[in-house]
Amino acid sequence: MERRELIQWLVATAGLHALDSLAPADLLALGRDVHGSRDPALRVLSPPAERTVAAAAERILPGAPAAGASAFIDKMLADWHTPVERERFLAGLPELDTRCRSRRGRVFVDCAEADQVAVLTALDDEVTALRASRGAAIANEHWFAMLKYLTVYGYCTSETGMRALGLYPIAGRYDGCARL
Amino acid sequence: MTDFDAIVVGSGMTGGWAAKELTERGLRTLVLEAGRPIAPERDYVEHKPPWEMPFRGLGDRRTVAARQSTQSHSVSFDEWSHVFWTDDADNPYSTPPDRPFHWFRARQVGGKSIIWGRQVYRWSDLDFEANVRDAVAIDWPIRYADLAPWYDHVERFIGVSGQAEGLPHLPDGPFLPPMELNCVEQHVRQRMHAKFGRARVLTIGRVAVLTTPHNGRAPCHYCGPCHRGCITRSYFSSVNATLPAARATGRLTLRPFSIVRSLVYDAGKNRVTGVRMIDAETKTEREYTGRIVFLCASALESARILLNSDLANSSGQVGRNVMDHIKWGGASGEFDGWTDRRTIGERPNGIYVPRFRNVTSRHPDFIRGYGFQGGAGRAGWHAALRAPGIGPALKARLSQLGPWTMSFAGFGEMLPREENRATLHPTLVDAWGIPTLHIECTWSENELAMHRDMNVAAAELLEAAGARHIEPRTTGPSTPGNTNHEMGTARMGRDPRTSVLNGWNQAWDVPNLFVTDGAVMTSSGNQNPSLTYMALTARACHYAVEQLKRGDL
Repeated sequence: MERRELIQWLVATAGLHALDSLAPADLLALGRDVHGSRDPALRVLSPPAERTVAAAAERILPGAPAAGASAFIDKMLADWHTPVERERFLAGLPELDTRCRSRRGRVFVDCAEADQVAVLTALDDEVTALRASRGAAIANEHWFAMLKYLTVYGYCTSETGMRALGLYPIAGRYDGCARL
Repeated sequence: MTDFDAIVVGSGMTGGWAAKELTERGLRTLVLEAGRPIAPERDYVEHKPPWEMPFRGLGDRRTVAARQSTQSHSVSFDEWSHVFWTDDADNPYSTPPDRPFHWFRARQVGGKSIIWGRQVYRWSDLDFEANVRDAVAIDWPIRYADLAPWYDHVERFIGVSGQAEGLPHLPDGPFLPPMELNCVEQHVRQRMHAKFGRARVLTIGRVAVLTTPHNGRAPCHYCGPCHRGCITRSYFSSVNATLPAARATGRLTLRPFSIVRSLVYDAGKNRVTGVRMIDAETKTEREYTGRIVFLCASALESARILLNSDLANSSGQVGRNVMDHIKWGGASGEFDGWTDRRTIGERPNGIYVPRFRNVTSRHPDFIRGYGFQGGAGRAGWHAALRAPGIGPALKARLSQLGPWTMSFAGFGEMLPREENRATLHPTLVDAWGIPTLHIECTWSENELAMHRDMNVAAAELLEAAGARHIEPRTTGPSTPGNTNHEMGTARMGRDPRTSVLNGWNQAWDVPNLFVTDGAVMTSSGNQNPSLTYMALTARACHYAVEQLKRGDL
């Protein structure tokens, strides 16, 4: 199978397998994605999942989606994480929609910024509490901890992020006591 | 008529030196390298940014788990440098299930000299006399005076930056200008001097990285990850320095993809006549003949070749006395102040605290000693990866630097013990059908006591320097082999009944066979060992060529 065909096949099967089970808002979001997917090469994230990931990444770390968060997260889920980790992430992600619906009756991507921030902050607090009560290893397994880690790590290792952090290009010299 | 005057097995740290010294002294020399050729322009990846790597530096987790699960334990193994380590599936070995040993292996032109830590420290008679003084194992057949001119010779060629300190037990060399200690390291040096005087000294690491132009190589530009290669050839490796020098003589033949199975021996003459090798790509076997053979394949590989040849082992010592350096003891602490200061550039070097135990005093719990490596710095975005918070506050946090933190990590001497041993595995073979090794190696109580003391002494140093939140290491001792300083498996000595090699690295049993890699070590010292291997190699080459000219080989 040619790569392009494979991509089309993946997009089709990931996005269209259960239209009748989707809420109207999801259908709207899906329509936007089918006609204007950000990255046709995504292999794990369906178009609506990618939109959710990108919207959440922007609130977690402003600028992260523009620096390629979705593609990096998709790559990691496809080729780096274990199937168990991948499923945990994909099973957890819809919780963003669930929580936004219960607040405002809308999916995450259609919620106002303040509501998105409130939902993400609550999840972040839950992971922090988990870290305190059950330790880092357990907390890091939480699907939101995965999303946040991948967002932050991906940004800090992107060209945009490394330039913004002053880590690229290299200085070409050593100064052991430079002024900030 | 032989194919070559000399055959060198291995093209890494010591093989490169043998190639340079033998060719420069007129010998037509064949270097056999088990792995692939390396072209710096194609294979060095130190400047490739993370966003050009598939996993941004996190490594190909699944492939590593399947093919490099042992090699990946090395501190310098990463997504860039993993190509400089072997494939574990093709190169198996065994250990007792409850006693792991990390056998790190590098098969390419340059060997482990591409990925080494570059720290270089001379030994002194505190080390060469240690076994006889403590009545441990056997005495070294040489003393510092025998090796000193060869340390000079090697250091002048490779280029070592460092600070002369005048310590009798860590002799100075012809150093290039030292790299800079950062603000906090300078502070700790001064406070340690105030408290301990000359008994505990903090100095900048002595490192085979250039700080000035040297022998046609450029000074370091502080990009950081030396273990991924160095296009400016600023750190020493055989690819960057010794092999080009050997090639310039016109007498070098370098054959990659050449796995030496065994040595060919003529019992009538009691000489090795050459080597039997397998082409790694075609898997065809062939022989090369030479007048002398140098084994420079790394400590365990050279022992494996000797065992597979059933040669040079009348003492029964081949494969025994496996040593490494014990590590993962030490402590770190934080410093208030210097909040308006940071480091710029990645210094490929740290601090060094030369051995201070059992130098002028006597520690009640152990013999020998350890040195500390480490350094001070401020954590950047990595420390914020799991920090609480989201949004602009998190983004701001990523560019904030943490408090200055100073760490000391000990590297301790391991005693030679016959029961720490590599033997030929009765059934296990590598991908080329060559019998591989079974390795049994554990720390003794002396090393474990030293490891415990590293935590105590490091905390003392930090306390003297005024650090707060002093935290001892809690990881326990390193897995044997993990320091990548394996040695001792064909030791030098004064008596053919108890050693494999004489004082010139010449096999007692086979006069035209030399071994000059880590296998030769009679004790381990606590210093990073490559400099000593290189000096021993150059010295042995000089001797071998003289003997050859005299017709004695």
